[in-house]
This record gives sequence, C-alpha cells and structure tokens, in this order.
Amino acid sequence: MNTPVPAISIKGLTKDFAVTLRGVKLRAVDDLSLTVEEGHVFGLLGPNGSGKSTTIKVILGLLGATAGDVRVFGVPSHEVESRRNVGYLPEAPYFYRYLSGYELVRFYARVCGVPRKQLQARVKDVVDWVGLSKAADRRVGTYSKGMLQRIGLAQALVHDPKLIVLDEPTAGVDPVGTAEMCELILKLKQQGKTVLITSHLLAQIEDVCDRVAILDHGKLIVEGSLQELVGQRDRQALIVDSLPPADIEALRGWLVSRGHALNAIEQPRARLDQLFLSKVSRGGHAGASGGVGSNVVPKSSAPNTSAPVAASPKPKA
Amino acid sequence: MSAVSVPFSFSRLALIASNTFLEAVRQRLFNFLLLLAVGLVASAQFFRDFNFGSSELKFIADFGFGALVFFGSALTITTTAQLFFSEIENRTALTLLAKPIWRAEFVFGKFVGVFAVIGVFCALTIGLMMALLWHREGQLMTIDPEAFASGRIVRYGDLFIVGVLQWLKFGVLSSIVLLIATFSNSNLYTVVTGFFALVICHLQYLARDSWSNVDNLMLRVLVQVLGLIFPNFQLFNLGDEIGQGAALDPLLAGRVAVYAVVYIAVIGGLAVYSFRNREI
Repeated sequence: MNTPVPAISIKGLTKDFAVTLRGVKLRAVDDLSLTVEEGHVFGLLGPNGSGKSTTIKVILGLLGATAGDVRVFGVPSHEVESRRNVGYLPEAPYFYRYLSGYELVRFYARVCGVPRKQLQARVKDVVDWVGLSKAADRRVGTYSKGMLQRIGLAQALVHDPKLIVLDEPTAGVDPVGTAEMCELILKLKQQGKTVLITSHLLAQIEDVCDRVAILDHGKLIVEGSLQELVGQRDRQALIVDSLPPADIEALRGWLVSRGHALNAIEQPRARLDQLFLSKVSRGGHAGASGGVGSNVVPKSSAPNTSAPVAASPKPKA
Repeated sequence: MSAVSVPFSFSRLALIASNTFLEAVRQRLFNFLLLLAVGLVASAQFFRDFNFGSSELKFIADFGFGALVFFGSALTITTTAQLFFSEIENRTALTLLAKPIWRAEFVFGKFVGVFAVIGVFCALTIGLMMALLWHREGQLMTIDPEAFASGRIVRYGDLFIVGVLQWLKFGVLSSIVLLIATFSNSNLYTVVTGFFALVICHLQYLARDSWSNVDNLMLRVLVQVLGLIFPNFQLFNLGDEIGQGAALDPLLAGRVAVYAVVYIAVIGGLAVYSFRNREI
C-alpha cells in the first residue's frame, strides 16, 4: 500500500541570511521540521520575524535553504515542477496596476499553462468564485485592499492547484473582508484543497485551521491539531437559560453530591467581530465586487459562548 | 514520486515580454524620451544652417543618429533597470516566480520586452529621420537638379540597416544592465553602473589601442581580456557617411550584427546564471 505523499514536507530546514559583508549571519529558520498532509488547512503562527514568511518562500522556491529538505508533493521545492500544483497569495499583494482584474487573472492563468480553450471560462469562474465579477473589468490600481486580496486569491487558484499558500491573507483588511476571506478558505477546504496560511489574527486561524504550528525565532515551538493544543479535555461547558441564584446553588449542590465541581458561571457573549458583521452590510462592503462566491458556506464556528458554565467532569443526564 | 518536468516555454517568455512592453509604454519616462528624441530629430531641419561645413543631408542624418544614440542609451539603461526593479520592489516578482516558470524565462522575457520597447523607439526615430531626409532631399532636387542628376543620393536602405544595428547595440547595453540588475540591490546603483558600462563600451577601443603595444605582457593580456569582456560600441557607428551617399558594406554590417547577437546571448546567459540563485 502506497503511503500518501504529504502536501508539504519540511525536514531540518535552516535558513541563514548574511547581514554583513564580513559573513555575520542571521538565522531566520532553525532546524524546522513540519508535515502538512493533503486536504488540511494548516496555520503557521508566530510573531514578526519568527520565520513564517521565510519558510513560505523556501517552500515556493523563492529562497534556497541553507540546510534541510523541503518538498512539495514529494518534489524538492527548488525545482520548478514543485510549483505546478501550488497557488500563492503573498502578504499585501501588489499586482500590475494597469491591468483589469480579468486581464490580471488571465495573465497568470496563461503563465500557469491553463489551456487556451479553457482559459476564458476558467478565469470567469474563479473571478466569480472570489466574488469580484462586477469589478473585474476595472483596473487593479483602483481596487481596495480587500479586493486586492480577493483578486490575489483568484490568481492563486486559476490553475486549480492542490496546495494554496496564503501569507497573511487578511493583513490590513477590515473585519468584513476578513470574514469573507475565511469563508473562501473554508470553501477551499470543502473542495479538498490543502491550505497553508499564516496570520497574526489568531481567532481567524482558530476558525479555519485543522492544525497549527507556532514558530518563534525560527524554531518550532509547538505543533498539533487545534483540539490537541487548545481543547480542555477534562472540562466541559453547558449553556442553559438564565437561572435564579437558588437554582444555581441547587445545581452546585447536585454536582458536589456527585463528586464534581462547578468552576465558573459566566454570561455568554458573542464575539465582537460577529457583532460587527451582523451590524455592517456585507453587500454594501463588497461594493462593486458583489459579495463572496456562489456557494453558501456554513459558518466556521458557532458564536463563541466561551465556557459560560464549566464543569468537571461531564455531568450525566 | 516521479515529477513531470516543466519545460522551458517560449510562450511564457513571450507573455512576460508582452507584459513588460505594456508596462514600459505606460511609463512617462518612455513617452518623455520618445517625444524628446522625435522633437530633436524633427528640429534638425531648423539647425541645418549650423552644419559646420558638412552637407545638409548629412547633417540631418548625423543629428538624427545623435538623438537616437543619446536618448536611446538613456532609455535603454533606465527602462531596463526600472522594469526589472519594479517587479522586485513592487513584489510582483514574488507572485510571478512562485508560479511554475523558469527564472530564465523571467530574465529573457524582461529582456525581450525591453528590446521591443527600444525597437519601437528606434523605428519611430529612424522613420522620422528618413521621412525628413526624403522630404528635404526632394526639395533640394528641385532647387539644384544637377547635384542629383543620378537620382537620390541618400541610401535609405543603409539608413535602415544602421538603425537596426543601433537597436542591436541597445540590446547589448540592455543585457549588460540586466546582468547588473540581477545582482544589484537598487535601481539607482543599476542605472549608475549601467551608464559607466556605456562609457566603457564606447571608449574601450581607446584603451585597447593605447595599451596594445606596451611591453608588459600581463598588462597587454589584461587589456585584451577587458576588451573582450566589454563590447566595443564604436563598431556600431557605421552611419557616418550615409548622408553623403556612401554605401554601407553589407558584410561588415552582418558581422557587427553577429557580434551584437553573440554578446547579447553570452551576457544574457550570465544574467540568468546570476539571477538563478537570487533570493526574492
């Protein structure tokens, strides 16, 4: 039985940059080993200067590794073939301002070798998919940041890659644009794409990622699934109607009688970004873009009612 | 896992070249230099009384070629550096080079795009100069028919060939600037070094002539080697006698063209080699 080839395999990656002519080097990535399995949404986290973007650039063959082995679908990342199935959205993307959205995506489609017969349809599909069809005839130079991110995503997807690398896809984008980008990432996940994403917005990562890795000073600090890393397996939250004090005391007594403890009582709160999104017209924000994509995508998570009542362990019914 | 190789693609190269061309013609600098050159060539007929003794038609030709060489060189250096660094500084190169393309396609695509821009510049400047010469020669034929008893004296075909040779010379210059750009960190450094290279290429024959007979063998070899490294741009100045009706030696023109193509290929290859490991 063949072992599935991981989308990204990084073994012992080290990357040094020469910072002076005398040979003083800055180690941006230090002995990093990671595996991103196909079909996963993987979040690469870390503070500024932690080596996230450098790692991404090595994966894309834009930088050479000082040491270590980096492969994309089994192909060494320094080879051109490794980029055949990769789409990339750089941080704060800048595109040819004098091209229209359609022209830009068509240009990249041709660079990626999309057959001429499929070119027109493919460009239109992907521009529609990111919700930019109404603005696609406008010059890219007139686009807002959110629209630039979306046209950037369109060019990354136009050749239907299996792996999509998103470097800070919501940097400088407002909450509405951020939410729309998250929806697009979740749609990609539903289609079975592998997504590698870096972001400073941890809530966003939490909403969309299966696994995360945290880097600091070029070193891998922690890596695992979100459940493994932030889930509290020995605790549970119950959400109930508002109870009078007497009932709460009765509940506490009942729990104590069964050997459990009522650890916290909190008022559930919606997340601020969700309040913002419910108050701001998303159609209006999309403006000429016409909103995101065609498929209705389920929300990535329920409103965060963070542990209104935490009990340990799970009470029996 | 066996990877299917991505072959070198001339269509991708052409795509990058056409995009580079489009970007260049939208730049104000190109339009500005083109207007200046065209204006200078067109104004040649107003300066014909200050021709320092040479024939009027030769003066117009010299004036036109002077404008072509001066503005063409400036355009070549600035446009090549600008179009290369705009990709790096604006980070469009990040997106482009993250696609399945060879860096050689990128470098040669940039070169072909710039070469096309310079081609348009040369075609317009030479075309205008030829039109002016044709017009003025027609007037002179009416004024002094005896001087033109055997027909027109300006060899327009040769003029065109000299224009093509100048274009090739700019191609060599562009490849040198591109080579500098592949390892340079700034647009300004590339432009300044490019102008130095232009001066060296124009004057290297003087050094070679002066130092070719020195006794020191090492020095002589060094001068010869430097003379090979830097192309001799004086070889391209074949248009001096065209305004006076002298014919261009086609064999010589062909050899100069081959000389240019060889330099473009070699320097372009070095640029690809240099850019291959550049960290974007």
